Amino acid sequence: MVMPAAWLVFVGLALPIRFTDNYIDFVTPGILAMTILSASLAGGGLLILDRMLGFFNKFLALPPPRESILFGKILVITIRGIIQSTIILFFAFLLGARLYSPVQLVGTYFILFIFGALLSAAATTIAIYVDDHDQYAAVNAMISMPVFFTSSAMMPYDQMPAWLSPIAHINPLSFAIDGIRILQTGTVPVTQIGLLTVLCAGILGLAVHAFRKVKI
Amino acid sequence: MNISSIRNQVSESTIITYNLTKKFGKVCAVNRMNITVGNEIFGILGPNGSGKTTTVLMLTTLLDPTDGTAQICGFDIQKEPRKVRESISYVPQDMAVDVRLTGRENVMMFAELYGIQNPAQKTEEALRVLDLSDRADDLAKVYSGGMRRRLELAQALVHNPKVLFLDEPTVGLDVAARKKIWEHIIDLRKQGMTIFVTTHYMDEADRYCDRVAIIDKGIIQAIDTPDNLKSMISKDIISFSVTGQVEKIEVPGVTFAFMEGDELVFYADHGDHALPRVKDALTEAGVQVTAMSIRKPSLDDVFLHLVGTEEDSSPFKLSTFRNAMGRRG
Repeated sequence: MVMPAAWLVFVGLALPIRFTDNYIDFVTPGILAMTILSASLAGGGLLILDRMLGFFNKFLALPPPRESILFGKILVITIRGIIQSTIILFFAFLLGARLYSPVQLVGTYFILFIFGALLSAAATTIAIYVDDHDQYAAVNAMISMPVFFTSSAMMPYDQMPAWLSPIAHINPLSFAIDGIRILQTGTVPVTQIGLLTVLCAGILGLAVHAFRKVKI
Repeated sequence: MNISSIRNQVSESTIITYNLTKKFGKVCAVNRMNITVGNEIFGILGPNGSGKTTTVLMLTTLLDPTDGTAQICGFDIQKEPRKVRESISYVPQDMAVDVRLTGRENVMMFAELYGIQNPAQKTEEALRVLDLSDRADDLAKVYSGGMRRRLELAQALVHNPKVLFLDEPTVGLDVAARKKIWEHIIDLRKQGMTIFVTTHYMDEADRYCDRVAIIDKGIIQAIDTPDNLKSMISKDIISFSVTGQVEKIEVPGVTFAFMEGDELVFYADHGDHALPRVKDALTEAGVQVTAMSIRKPSLDDVFLHLVGTEEDSSPFKLSTFRNAMGRRG
């Protein structure tokens, strides 16, 4: 959580380059989504620790179906991410971002939740197959930075270099960020929410399947 | 043996395996295992890599067999895994208790995960049986190794399983703690539970198990009561430390067992009489005897006899090592 917070302070107050007016308003959704992203990817480490310490084996021998382990992890990781985002959002308001209305807040949390669930399902499933903590941390780092910079977090589409724009358009992080931004303009971002929900359902399906088939 | 007694035997058996097999690529970890286990403490002894843990993983539905199957309490491990898991408890080697919860909370968590009717009451009962009631509200972090094991047992017992699988239950514990754990296990057997234990500690298997299976390279070499197994080897074991060229000798009533380093080991019917005879035979053959001893056979000797003295060459597992050294958390 420290990293996104640092980003926010740095970008909001210190960066001389402005891509848009009132840059802090523009960049806050990106920081929020980034918080969820890093919380979710880090959360995959929970399962690795469980496997290393022997908890995973114990849980697998219990009656509840395997998916319940998955859902439990998703809830914990996503809720943790939401709490962290709330703190970041609070900081953003302190630094001068325009306050969100209650409706916008609800919408923002909704988007962040679906996005978080999607990512934690993926991260937890990857964690079944990765053998140790260091390997997982490497995978984590390799994913989070590129995903962040190839999204619409830092600059609007019309200011992107030609090669960046198509990638940013299909980046799920962009969906989340755009969704939150559109909320600010007062409309409901149906496309973005729809896309995120479909992705989430798809990944959840794959994750449940992987968990059902888990054998040591 | 008539039909009804066979049927009785089968219906009383809680664990039955039918040619249970597991292959990992070309390596056959468990090779067509056929065992039946009932209300007893059943120990499975073997070197690392012999297939003990693989067998337990299959019986607890954590691993699919390559061939064959098994029934626990009448439920097939592949067709009705959930019913199997409802009837068993599995305590692996690693001492995995949540150190950030209290003892009571740890057991409560398992009570709720097992979906039992009155979790709070069952939790108290389990804690009482394992003598943890007075420390139940302390964080598991401050528990000693023996207490953690007892906590794991409480977690395992809270839903009254019919079968309890224990993987190396006393590794890393001091002598008093080990004794306590085994006493609890014996109590459980008296109450009708089947207990399937893997262990390295021959003396414990000897003292506490009702029957022991010795397994090597996935194949069971012998199953019987510890006493019967020990009488597989002739009464006494005599050993000689020698120097010089070793020659073959023949002494009636004495069989050569094996040689390890500079020690020759023989089995003899009457060790006290055989001792001087073998020593004389060796000296006559030009072998110089520097020391000799005689002892009654233990399960270690049965084990070495059946499995040999090969050093364990399976990959080193840090978690097993840490457990053996008594490291916690």
